[in-house]
Amino acid sequence: MSDHLENSVGENSVGGNSIRGPMPANAGIGLRAPHHLHVLSESPDVAWFEAHSENYFTDGGSHVECLSRIRAHYPLSLHGVGLSLGSTDPLNREHLANLRRVIARFEPTLVSEHLSWSSAGGRFANDLLPLPYTEEALRHVGSRIAQVQDALGRQILLENVSSYLQFSAATMTEWEFVAGVAAESGCGILLDLNNVYVAAHNHQFASLEYLEGIPRHVVQEFHLAGFSRIDLDGQELLVDTHGTPVCDAVWDLYRAALQRFGNVPTLIEWDTDLPNFDVLEAEARKADSLRSALRALAA
Amino acid sequence: MPSLRELQAQVMDALLGAMSPAVTALIAGPPARAERRFGVYANTVQGNFRDALHSTFPAVRRLVGEDYFRQTAREFQRHHPSRSGDLLHCGEKFPNYLAQLHPDDEFTYLADVARLEWLIQESLLAAEHPPLDLGALGRVEPAAYDRLRFELHPALRLFESQYPALAIWECNVGGDAEPPTIDLRSGADRLAIVRHRLQLQFLRLNPGEHCFLREIARGECFSAAVDCGGEADADFDAAAALQRFVAAESVVAFTSMVKT
Repeated sequence: MSDHLENSVGENSVGGNSIRGPMPANAGIGLRAPHHLHVLSESPDVAWFEAHSENYFTDGGSHVECLSRIRAHYPLSLHGVGLSLGSTDPLNREHLANLRRVIARFEPTLVSEHLSWSSAGGRFANDLLPLPYTEEALRHVGSRIAQVQDALGRQILLENVSSYLQFSAATMTEWEFVAGVAAESGCGILLDLNNVYVAAHNHQFASLEYLEGIPRHVVQEFHLAGFSRIDLDGQELLVDTHGTPVCDAVWDLYRAALQRFGNVPTLIEWDTDLPNFDVLEAEARKADSLRSALRALAA
Repeated sequence: MPSLRELQAQVMDALLGAMSPAVTALIAGPPARAERRFGVYANTVQGNFRDALHSTFPAVRRLVGEDYFRQTAREFQRHHPSRSGDLLHCGEKFPNYLAQLHPDDEFTYLADVARLEWLIQESLLAAEHPPLDLGALGRVEPAAYDRLRFELHPALRLFESQYPALAIWECNVGGDAEPPTIDLRSGADRLAIVRHRLQLQFLRLNPGEHCFLREIARGECFSAAVDCGGEADADFDAAAALQRFVAAESVVAFTSMVKT
């Protein structure tokens, strides 16, 4: 355990001069437009931010302006939701060109997308739909990721999505699929621990088995967020709403993930019912204290 | 087993339209549970689309009310699903869709309010541009003006309506107070929507100015734009118009057209 905690990102602390270096070990926060002005005026002590790539595809406007100013002071990750990598439609060249443009503009340390699909026949669902975990899908999405990495000239990270259904065509588990995609394409994995927990509950598997199925070296970022519970005719379904604090069970999973994957950059995400910024800061501090406690234990 | 392409086409049909037994069969577990779980996705897909339309068209949403907006957004999505990974673009055809729904009734004005809202969004998200280089313009020989091709600010949009669409928009965005009643016959709109830094402004145009800017926007040379302004308004003053739009940072650049 100690090896992994010691040998990873290490002591790369927060600081104004590290905005071009590797991602800081301290937890970052998902940047949402309602917090732009707060971040600009208060310069909160946040290790790094992650922004949704598509929100900054425009030529101008307040979002682009704010992110340019925020980027001058914080390390940044760009996280895409619309590339539809798992789709069998041709790769959307315009979307890819826009992605290249925002990468050139904001020079993010990390670039990530989702291991999902959202379009068919040119029609977009604009949602992160799960793939059938088959050999065909694995080969397809693996080659698409390789195409995108070639076009961008850099490695990207792929995030595991939360899901509410599984396709009966599946021939492998989700974690086998995720690990296979990383092996096939050379991409990194952004392991969303909330999504692992949600999927594990909804599909009745063990979260820890999922973690053990992912090779140690491929995970380069963690996401933490909150979910909602809905009742579907007497059956409880967990839905990835990003509208609540990280729950205790997901914090436990985070501890297990730190032990397995080491000191990987961690992000707090919140989307619906966005609270005041200090709530997100408190979540980030909690992640930092968990990581410090584990490191102390390992020392 | 269907191919990945077939599976995705069937699922997309069901998400945008209605669930089918074929899609239920694609999903693991008992059919009733499969359908309930698929419904979670269908609700999200429709909700995200509706929310995106709402954020582009807040005044239309307020004018028609939640129930009508929800129903119209659903139908619009069936006919014109999102074609991009970015929902910002999903409302492009919404003004025309409303025009087709209400060709000649008490809601005919809605399409124009929607068109205004779409242009406002475009303006808000367009690139910045510095003001026109007056020194460079001063060095142009007066005789060469006719062949200049002026350029408008990237955030400028021209808007025309037979209704007072701007007044309707202004009292239906921001604030929860009951908006005043506006007489639909209280005046037509002829506007340039402009943006300075992040601030929107609306310049009211006379017919000559409108034609003048429209020709410039089309890439016509100065003399053609002046002629068009003069045709629309016998009193059109080209020098005053150019001065107004340069000062307002609406005309921001020029190039000399090469004689052919």
